[in-house]
Amino acid sequence: MLTIDKLHKTFNNHTILNGIDLKVPSGSILGLAGPSGSGKSTLLRIIQGLDSIDQGTITCKGTVCFMFQDFQLFPHMNVMQNIIYAPSIRNPGHDYKKEAQKLLAKLGIDSKADSFPSKLSGGQKQRVALARSLIMKPDLLLCDEPTSGLDVATIDEVVELLKSVCGNNMSMIIASHDLDFLTKIADRIIVLKEGNIAADIEPSKSKNPISQLKEYY
Amino acid sequence: MEDRLMLLDNILYIGSGILFTLQLLFGGISLGLLLAIVMTILRYSSKCASYIITGYISIFRGTPVILQLSLFYFALPQIIGLNLEILTAGILTFGLNSAAYLAEILRSGINSLPKGQFEAAQTLRIPLFKTWKDVILPQAIRNSLPSLTGEMIALLKETALISTIGGLDIMRKSQGIAAEHFTYFTPLLIAGAYYYAMVLLIEFIGKKIEKNNANY
Repeated sequence: MLTIDKLHKTFNNHTILNGIDLKVPSGSILGLAGPSGSGKSTLLRIIQGLDSIDQGTITCKGTVCFMFQDFQLFPHMNVMQNIIYAPSIRNPGHDYKKEAQKLLAKLGIDSKADSFPSKLSGGQKQRVALARSLIMKPDLLLCDEPTSGLDVATIDEVVELLKSVCGNNMSMIIASHDLDFLTKIADRIIVLKEGNIAADIEPSKSKNPISQLKEYY
Repeated sequence: MEDRLMLLDNILYIGSGILFTLQLLFGGISLGLLLAIVMTILRYSSKCASYIITGYISIFRGTPVILQLSLFYFALPQIIGLNLEILTAGILTFGLNSAAYLAEILRSGINSLPKGQFEAAQTLRIPLFKTWKDVILPQAIRNSLPSLTGEMIALLKETALISTIGGLDIMRKSQGIAAEHFTYFTPLLIAGAYYYAMVLLIEFIGKKIEKNNANY
């Protein structure tokens, strides 16, 4: 699905990513962990094409969508408009309302279709952002800190939610500081440190993945 | 009785300049807004265009409007032989001048948006034109509504300068009455009342639009 080869990125003479090699198969969830400034968000932004690279190659089969840490919903559009606006441009003849309504129902916020983002809680905004990405039918979904600012109960819901939408050959890369969350959701977690992959573990095969991950902080 | 009738005549005569003033105001603000939107988009799209537009804004904000108006009305025929009607010269001058101020207002409105709004549109593969039209500008204009109302009020007051090149607006008509009767206070007071009433109306409409857009 995604192959990254010898990826280098520097910013103001500071090396952010120093020759990253990575493969993400279809239908898998990859967790990105690491201390602040280790390059997690930069790597996601590069994969999405929001930031340029200095060296290396990125090969991605299929479409990529990005869920921002602060969601970046369009505040002047209601929930329904936020979800259907982008796909309706690409396919004007298609009515995306029914599809969006189904997604909203699946995410448990179908009653909020007419609400504006300012009237939603953090968890609801995140669901809208997820619906907005899912309606684009991405092959790879990039999530930057999806649990930041959410309470414990909501984080558990997010785990279930993301797991339920993953599959059907859709892959995910999730950057997060929340190791507990990552170990619950990811098939594989890599730790970025000083621009390199410091660790690469599979939580299901580790007795105590959180402490194992913490060693690299 | 005769005095009262004369006063009413004067009020009506000066009021007949409103149409000319409004033509200048709406012509100028429409041209200004259109140019400002184009300049704002170009400014964010190309560095070269940004330098040129910054220079344009600096010149139009840095020179008196009356000088710009005189250039269009008196100097242009001498340079390129183009004779403009007073109204056309006025709309062009006020439009070009207002565009400089409006472009700066829109720039600050856009700068107040999170950078992520552009990126969100990019990640959703929204074409650039639609990004500006449906995502960025509606938010920027909404954020700038109080300043846009202020610019419209400023422009309305500036239209009085058209009287210096013979435009028959409210100001010119009040000056005409003043010159005819050798009395300045009453005609100028009437003109002032017309301008103030229009300013209050613009303020009222501006606040109404702000209120209607406060639902998100």
